Amino acid sequence: MNTSQWAQILAIVRLEIWKTFFSRRGLWIYLFALAPVLLFTANSVYAPREQARLARIAETHQVALTNLVAITRGMSNSVVLEQLGEPYQRRNWNHPVEGGRVNERGFYRYTDGRSDFTFHFNNGRVREIERSDPETVPQQLLIFATIFRFYFLRLAVFFGCVGIFTNLFRGEMLDKSLHFYLLTPVRREIRLAGKYLAGLLATIVIFTASATLQWMAMLWQFNHDEVAGYFSDPTAAHLLPYLGVTVLACATYGSVFLCAGLLFRNPIVPATIILLWESANLFLPAALQKMGLIYYLQSLCPLAAAPDNSMPVPLTLLISSTPSASVPMALVVLILFTLAVLVYSGVRSKRLEINYSTD
Amino acid sequence: MSDSANITLDNVSRFYGEVLGVNRVTLSIPPGITSLVGPNGSGKTTLMNLMTGLVRPTYGEIRVLGITPSEPEKLFRLVGYSTQFDSFPKGLTGFQFIQSFLRFFGYSSEKSMELAGKAIEQVGLTDAADRKIAAYSKGMRQRIKLAQAIAHDPKVLVLDEPLNGLDPLVRAETIALFRQWADEGRHVIVSSHVLHEVDLISDRVILLTGGYVVAEGQIHGVRTEIQEHPIQILIRCDRPGALAAKVFEQEHVVAAQILPDGSGLLVQTRDADRFYRQLNHLALADIRIEGVAPADDNVNSVYQYLVGGEEASK
Repeated sequence: MNTSQWAQILAIVRLEIWKTFFSRRGLWIYLFALAPVLLFTANSVYAPREQARLARIAETHQVALTNLVAITRGMSNSVVLEQLGEPYQRRNWNHPVEGGRVNERGFYRYTDGRSDFTFHFNNGRVREIERSDPETVPQQLLIFATIFRFYFLRLAVFFGCVGIFTNLFRGEMLDKSLHFYLLTPVRREIRLAGKYLAGLLATIVIFTASATLQWMAMLWQFNHDEVAGYFSDPTAAHLLPYLGVTVLACATYGSVFLCAGLLFRNPIVPATIILLWESANLFLPAALQKMGLIYYLQSLCPLAAAPDNSMPVPLTLLISSTPSASVPMALVVLILFTLAVLVYSGVRSKRLEINYSTD
Repeated sequence: MSDSANITLDNVSRFYGEVLGVNRVTLSIPPGITSLVGPNGSGKTTLMNLMTGLVRPTYGEIRVLGITPSEPEKLFRLVGYSTQFDSFPKGLTGFQFIQSFLRFFGYSSEKSMELAGKAIEQVGLTDAADRKIAAYSKGMRQRIKLAQAIAHDPKVLVLDEPLNGLDPLVRAETIALFRQWADEGRHVIVSSHVLHEVDLISDRVILLTGGYVVAEGQIHGVRTEIQEHPIQILIRCDRPGALAAKVFEQEHVVAAQILPDGSGLLVQTRDADRFYRQLNHLALADIRIEGVAPADDNVNSVYQYLVGGEEASK
């Protein structure tokens, strides 16, 4: 490519980027991107307040942690009161059951100043124990990893790319303004490259900014020593790999939806098919999972969500047992796939015609 | 003139599925103003889109000054196209619209601003240049499209219905611009429904109907090609009845009608040249001829002959 063609690409990017960032049609993309930031911010505001509340309660109702963990299911409420003393909060009520009988229900709440314990009773016996511990950096990172995999990559970046990349050609077809681009001395494949780069730049800025803000909001509640202590471990998960995966997701999904916008009158149809395929990826046999982009993108994520007993059943279903692809393999597949789709789109763009009446 | 100096279409056909766009069009268009005339759906816009690569021919080959439309990087340095589409990229002022697209030509920011200013001035939109195109009137939008087509100083201008929506004054100014560009040796291809204007401005016409070129060439040449249709000639004279009797003696005269106000005679002849020569002899008799003019030697009448009055009136 010569300098004049680079200048043309720059001119296209300049014109497109403004439209992409400030399009009214694209406002929902910002909402999708910012939703997890709001979630982490809300948690970072709530968690320290909750800790302060428990510390205040502990000044008058403190119970040793060893005593709290010694309580097990089936113990009577009198034993609990004997071992732990008066709870800082209690409630009792009658729960009607079949045959006109009633069950006595209730709960006692205790704290050691850091963790919050709730013992639920049924007819005077411990039925269930809820324990809420102070949040830790590794725990929050796992939550971040889960949100990143199951919401951010699969929904936010995916739909963001649908919204931005399909509109690069299809939006102008609908606006009946695409012909202005085709009436300039720019090769069709150069035009496609310019539009793709504009879309890529926009999605990268929006979604890497979102991922960075999520990360910052997530760590905001922790003091400097806690954060520094965790990240001094060389194996710790850092933000940079997540940003790399975000960039790759934008590039890969972007190429697919640019091509869809070029080929289909209604790109929502292929977008829905791809979404279904990518969503079904977790439930497919291992061989078929490898035919989904999400498999390779998730293989590059630093932390994998691991199912545990505290996790709700629907969430555990989302966790794949298929081994991840190696990092080099995932990178090669994603890059080659993106290049192949772009080359195909370039060839098809040469056959692009203006026929607004049928669009 | 060599083909590299003309716009050539060689047996070009374009089908939209089963629907015919244009069929077997072979043309060689030299510099000057060439008008494409035809009713809606006759293939005018398809022909223009084919010349500029917005659609591709199903069959045949097109070259614009020797360049095929599949080479946009070369073609649009020579060609400017003002389309019929009345839509623009959103949010831009007239100046930003022209200037941003000029950047695609590789012009620097300063040069593109200079060229955009010049083009906008040429179409008389300087005062409105900094207003959003969305706030432009129909005529202003028409002119900003024209400015976009001419901004890079092309050798070939393809203008689809460029006079639509223009007020009479601007229309006259725009026609004068077309004439100026043609006089500078450029190709100006114009399509229009406004037949009397085409008649006035065109060096050549191409008549289209149903996707076929039914006639092409200079207006007078086209007219004489239509041998089966008599030419109407209006003669102002003092004794139309006597003149009618004399002209009926000529074998090529097929009809003669005295004007309702008795001021002259409308003659239909199959051989206008012979009629004009013979009229000189007739005028030697005792009939005083005040004026002779072809009554239908214009695009509208030629067009009506070729495609039928019903279509031409659309």
